[in-house]
Amino acid sequence: MPDVSGKRTVAMLTMRGITKAYGDVRANRGIDFDVPAGRIIGLLGENGSGKTTLMNILFGMVPADAGTIVFRERVLADHTPREAIAAGISMIHQHFMLVLAMTVTENVMLASNDDGAWLRHHAVADRIKEASDAYSLHLDPSALVGELSLGAQQRVEIVKAVLQGAALLILDEPTSNLSPPEVSVLLGILRRLRDDGRSVVFISHKLGEVLELCDDVVVLRDGAVTAARPVAGATREDLAYMMVGRDLPAPVERSARAPGRELLLVSDLGARDAAGVPRLRGVSFSVREGEVFAIAGVDGNGQGELADVIAGARALDTGSVFVDGQDVTAASVAERLAAGLAYIPADRASTGLVGIMTIAENLAMRDIGAPPHRRGWWLDRVATRALAETRMAEFGVRARDPESFAATLSGGNQQKVVLARELGRAPRVVLAVQPTRGLDPGATRFVIEKILALREAGAAVLYVSTELDEILAVADRIAVMYDGRVVGIVRREDADLARLGLMMAGVLEETSAAALAYGVSASESASRPGAS
Amino acid sequence: MTTTDALDTTFMRVLSASATARPFVLALAGVGLALALSGLLVLGSGKSPLAAYGSLASGALGSRDRIAVALNKATPYLLTATGVALCFRAQVINIGGEGQIAVGGLAATWVALALPDAPAGVLPIVAALVGAVAGAAWAALAALVRLTRNVHEVLVTLLMNFIGVLFVSEMLQGELGEPGAGFPQSPLLARAAWLPRLVRETDLHVGILVALAAVVAAHLLLWRTPFGFRLRLRGASAPAAIYSGVSMKRSLLSVMLVAGGLAGLAGALEVLGVHYRLIEGFSSGFGFTAVSIALIGGLNPLGVLPAGLFFAFLETGALAMQRAVGVPSPLVLVIQGLTMVFVLAAVALPAPARRA
Repeated sequence: MPDVSGKRTVAMLTMRGITKAYGDVRANRGIDFDVPAGRIIGLLGENGSGKTTLMNILFGMVPADAGTIVFRERVLADHTPREAIAAGISMIHQHFMLVLAMTVTENVMLASNDDGAWLRHHAVADRIKEASDAYSLHLDPSALVGELSLGAQQRVEIVKAVLQGAALLILDEPTSNLSPPEVSVLLGILRRLRDDGRSVVFISHKLGEVLELCDDVVVLRDGAVTAARPVAGATREDLAYMMVGRDLPAPVERSARAPGRELLLVSDLGARDAAGVPRLRGVSFSVREGEVFAIAGVDGNGQGELADVIAGARALDTGSVFVDGQDVTAASVAERLAAGLAYIPADRASTGLVGIMTIAENLAMRDIGAPPHRRGWWLDRVATRALAETRMAEFGVRARDPESFAATLSGGNQQKVVLARELGRAPRVVLAVQPTRGLDPGATRFVIEKILALREAGAAVLYVSTELDEILAVADRIAVMYDGRVVGIVRREDADLARLGLMMAGVLEETSAAALAYGVSASESASRPGAS
Repeated sequence: MTTTDALDTTFMRVLSASATARPFVLALAGVGLALALSGLLVLGSGKSPLAAYGSLASGALGSRDRIAVALNKATPYLLTATGVALCFRAQVINIGGEGQIAVGGLAATWVALALPDAPAGVLPIVAALVGAVAGAAWAALAALVRLTRNVHEVLVTLLMNFIGVLFVSEMLQGELGEPGAGFPQSPLLARAAWLPRLVRETDLHVGILVALAAVVAAHLLLWRTPFGFRLRLRGASAPAAIYSGVSMKRSLLSVMLVAGGLAGLAGALEVLGVHYRLIEGFSSGFGFTAVSIALIGGLNPLGVLPAGLFFAFLETGALAMQRAVGVPSPLVLVIQGLTMVFVLAAVALPAPARRA
């Protein structure tokens, strides 16, 4: 194995024959997993391939059915996360375990294992500063965690791990909420940790990042290791093939189609959140028949609010919304649905889907006041069930029956339920916010194909994503949002990744004349509705 | 985790468990455990638990009269708990049953006293309806404070209980009081205002039929109408409800009106069917007992029915048990409390682990 750091490569972690079953599902089937000291290991796999289970077993969150773990020449068995941390293993979860109302120092103190009688703020703050300087984390120990960006919060998690004395850091999907510049900062920090003799397990399904960062890669499929190899010399195609066990089909063919009339037009949208902070500041654009208008940007720059406002789930301060020429600014959700507006919200877990209601109820929830679900005063449960069965077949939702709870479905199937509800009624305008978040490549592809099929059928699609790869795959035009404003609109054929990244970071604003000429600029068309 | 989070988590578990057969089994197990543990207490005091439970049962079910008393007792519990169950389903934490009952009884009394010459067939109906409207209005006040000032409904409804109960006392000391009675109570209502008996020669009045109808109606409302669907959706996930076009404010107000109406009706029936007058403290404890019943009933109207009957029968048999065996009657409060603790503890257990 090539040695990057120049240090002697010794096994830090050896996992042998790890097996774990949940009921009938065998999540881990005799997995062997090794981490040498001073290496970054990419752990790749689709959703449900067993990578999270394997790491949860290592971290002591779930017990393995069989198998042995040796970490730094000590056997770990039936251990708790506390014992794992004491042994030198730290895990940074996708959802940070931080107290937002406390300072960086206090958060670190919460995680510390040294229980003296007194709190020593200054000593801890000094250690944070030291670690922050050593790994370029740029952390202010006295800052409130809730006021930090997601990238900085992640660095607080890293400093926690470092000060816990972690020799092995596990990061679960660490880049999913970061902008491209933040991602490269993170990758730099991880390299420095590696060069310092620590090891990192980088759980991801983003092939590009694994290729760029990792020394070795372990690929899981269906609970078993399909490959363990150095990254050097591997290609994206190799990794994708090992991950899904089949060649990913070539990129979807997109027909070149002339844009039609404007189906969605928004002008000068402004909205605030509950605390009165402006989340949208004068957003205007239009989306045409058969066009995918993508919005790029780092999470939390107003994209979610934009979609909520258009869909009627959030009040707006200023501006107006037109769907197919009809002013729906003040319309109810039901009226917007009737106008042909579908909405796939970002938050599947609590907004798009209700785990403790049945699949049939979830498929009906936005249309419950309309036929076929409603007949006079009553719900027509037979019709609801029949429609659910049709939709489930149409969208390939794999479930025991429509009366089972939505929470029992896998992530991919849950998203199919949302798609089935929103796209099943043949909408004219689709708002899709992060529709592939947390999905494996197969499910992602399914979603994108559905979206492109709607484009083909003449719908106008507003597609919000934080993944530039995905945006480039679907978009006709790309807008970038930063701090509640659209800071740039470019045509896909003119898109330049570097410039998009700068716009997402808020350092560049531009709207090419060509991009506006593709459609008609929003402000222009607002003054003469119906122009095409 | 903050207290509200813990409350929310427990709540979601009650809600999710309620949609399956689990709560019924759990409730039975809870009752069994509570009886067993209380039996140990009886044993510790040197009495026989079997004799105590035997006299408890015969005191509650031993004769037509006893059953009649128990069913009368169950009436306000069923009505109020049904309203509470609907509210909790929608995550509207209305614990203002006490005050709503009090105000409903007050309004019914006022109508019955103001219209002494009204025809017998009409007066109880009018008085009961006015009681329901008053209860709904009392709940609506709490809802409006919640909606306009954003004070949590737990606080508002709790505090308005005191206001409602003290308002009744105030009225009984003054305008509505019986002169020279020596106890804060209203004059006896005219016979025309009394609820008809359901069974001759017992105290059983028609209220239990009203309560049963309310339970069935609430069941249909919750599970078979779009209105009920929206309430359940609101309770299961507020963001999903907003996404589906459910108005959080309008749904809060409407479910509070329904619950307040049911509680007000309960107060009116208690006055018109049991006491035939308004008595200070007539609603004491009803509102909170109703919350326990709603929770043990899995926030399901059809679950409220057995839970409410169980509580009413326990309380009816308590005195007989005290007389016959010498076990103090508050033991039934222990049984009620333990039942509640066991059922909620069982429901609040995380569901069996699924695939992570």
